[in-house]
Amino acid sequence: MKKKIALLLAAALTVGSLSACGGGNESAPAATAAKGEDNGSAAQGGDGGQSAASGTVYPAGTLTVYAMGNPQYRQQYFETWLENHRDIAPDVKIEFVQTEGTADIREKITMTALSGATEDLPDAAMLDPVTILANAGLLKDETEYLTPLLDKMVDGAAKDATIDGKIYALPDSVRPQVLFYNKEIFDQYGIDPEMMKTMDGYIEAGRQLKEKSGGEVFLSYIDPTSKTWRYWGRRGLMPSANAKIWDDSGEVIIGSDEGTKKALGALDTMNSEGLLMKTTIMEPALYDAINNQKVATFCIGAFWDEFMRQNCDAVKGQWRVMSAPEFEGVQKAGAPVSQYMGIIEKGDNPYSELFRMMWYDFTFDIDAKEEWVNSMEAQNAPYSNPVSIEMLEDPFWKEPSEFYGGMSFREMEGKCLQNGADNLIVTPQDAEADEIISAELEKYVAGNQSMEDAIANMDKNLKAKIGKAQVN
Amino acid sequence: MLQTLKKYRAPYLFILPFFILFFIFQLIPTIWTIYISLTDWKGIGSPKFCGLSNYQKMMVDNMFWESLGNTVVYWISGLILIICCALLIACLLNSRFLSNDSARAFFKTATFLPNICAAIAMGLIFRMLFDENVGLVNEVIAMTGGAKVPWLTSTTFSKIPVIILNVWRYTPWFTMILLSGLLNISKDYYEAATVDGANSAQQFWFITLPSLKNILFFCSVTLTVDMWKLFNESYILPGPGTSNSSLFQYMYESGFNVFNMGYASAIGVVLILILMVISVIQFAVRRRQGEL
Repeated sequence: MKKKIALLLAAALTVGSLSACGGGNESAPAATAAKGEDNGSAAQGGDGGQSAASGTVYPAGTLTVYAMGNPQYRQQYFETWLENHRDIAPDVKIEFVQTEGTADIREKITMTALSGATEDLPDAAMLDPVTILANAGLLKDETEYLTPLLDKMVDGAAKDATIDGKIYALPDSVRPQVLFYNKEIFDQYGIDPEMMKTMDGYIEAGRQLKEKSGGEVFLSYIDPTSKTWRYWGRRGLMPSANAKIWDDSGEVIIGSDEGTKKALGALDTMNSEGLLMKTTIMEPALYDAINNQKVATFCIGAFWDEFMRQNCDAVKGQWRVMSAPEFEGVQKAGAPVSQYMGIIEKGDNPYSELFRMMWYDFTFDIDAKEEWVNSMEAQNAPYSNPVSIEMLEDPFWKEPSEFYGGMSFREMEGKCLQNGADNLIVTPQDAEADEIISAELEKYVAGNQSMEDAIANMDKNLKAKIGKAQVN
Repeated sequence: MLQTLKKYRAPYLFILPFFILFFIFQLIPTIWTIYISLTDWKGIGSPKFCGLSNYQKMMVDNMFWESLGNTVVYWISGLILIICCALLIACLLNSRFLSNDSARAFFKTATFLPNICAAIAMGLIFRMLFDENVGLVNEVIAMTGGAKVPWLTSTTFSKIPVIILNVWRYTPWFTMILLSGLLNISKDYYEAATVDGANSAQQFWFITLPSLKNILFFCSVTLTVDMWKLFNESYILPGPGTSNSSLFQYMYESGFNVFNMGYASAIGVVLILILMVISVIQFAVRRRQGEL
């Protein structure tokens, strides 16, 4: 008897462990496809495909979007849109899932796709760049839909989402590199901010600030983490100086590239002369320094505006914006940073067309967008300039900003796009290259090597680990 | 073999669940990892066979070597500091000076607390403590007249906060293991030694330590595995570049930040090999000592 009970127990344990290994019930069927035809061209109605999909009623469910940087505010716009379109989406909800950043989004989508749980994939995601997911076939081809709309958008809006002539995501924002400066500090020390139009002038302004303030005021910051490469390097000085990591065939040239020497050399000059405050960006220590008028400028993407507004109330009205400094011989003012909304290719994605309609409205509906931006201003929340040319021409986008002492930040953001440099070539190897380059730059910031050695090591390690990049 | 299986059907059935889980979640993934390490794979699409190129790449990758070196530092420092601290605390908890039972229970609980705190939360607190500008550690140093130390922004010091967090987190667990060993040592040995005139240090050296040999060996084996798998502590307290990255962290970053799954798998295979070699050496040493 005892033996039989023991056998039964053992058998039950075995069955239990096997069932634990099995997958869950397939009780959640894939959402029923919408009746409308997917991937309709915007040209069909000029309203983002709405007329093409007329008569379509989207199935009940939640449209999930992976995003970053306080996406709950964006959700407010889309929720309002859904409320106004209950005739076509009576039971559709939208959820913006907060992520750490684009790398996190890529990781989540990749791992979900890898596990085969396609029903768990989001319907759309905020992306920059799109290369890895597009090459993996995880993004819908938007070429047909977007091509008729390109003339309505600012130059290069779809550039970084274009691979071999196909566009893989919907443009969300194109934001320039700008120079934020505290006018009151410059006035106090009698320094003309106009001198910062060139990189040499920018560095000279830093020297004068240091000298006249007795070392109290720093020109800007330098971050001991990977953010120095991200904000000073990849998106900032490198494109401004026409620097290159790869040549046109994908070979590593960063070690011998004159642009790189110019770009990182400028950073080295500022750092070695003590013009930069060594602190982590987006952390309280830096905000304290800004509020105490210890940091005078930021040469960074326009996105920095929202961080300043949220954290630096003590210096409200003192800051101004101008075009980022130009390197002699290049005369370009930094590269714009584009961000995209990619619709995920997950077989039966019932909300593809619905999301395109929402995106179209967000991008081209002047009144709705302005109402939302006013609401963002009231909440001190983030928003970016539109990519629609028509919308940018509206006087609303030239309104003065209180934080910038009456200067229109929105207008300046638009103006700063005009002399933008080309971005560094986008390759599928960029994530790995960034890790290698940033590691060497971080060691430079830590004082472990000279900038010359850092550049030489970047070149050596890129050649050893990546060899040749895949340039489209 | 079939006859043996038939004869011991019940015991084999009892251990079968473990082997099923081991097969599905450990053996197959290990074999899969070895295969992936021989491919160029970004995580999506079909892996492309590339032979030993990932291993060749590893040989010239200074980030790999730096992470490997850091892991060795964490392993050695962990073995020495954690076992010493754990043994010291276990002896204190077991000492006759702590005669009050409620006091003993309080100190046991207090000692174990660091182990049950979430590693990431503790990491964030340690990051604040070791902040160069506003950290408490530097404030204390400044109060005593010292200069502020760039704990997490210099390659020289960036491993120290990780080691401290590591020791702080792991010591309680091993304290409990060693305490259970101490409780099993017969009081008669100590009484006899006291009668023979042995002092506390002699009692510790000639009674306590030899009696804990097997437990110390167990601790060193498990600590070795834990230290080579160190991730949370170095991930949440990053230093410049890979100056304080562990090999496990570098493997994760290669796989999930860079999506170089083939290369990450190759690092995983190297980790498996290193751990196998260390374990074999540890067991061989013990066998030579006649303890196993």
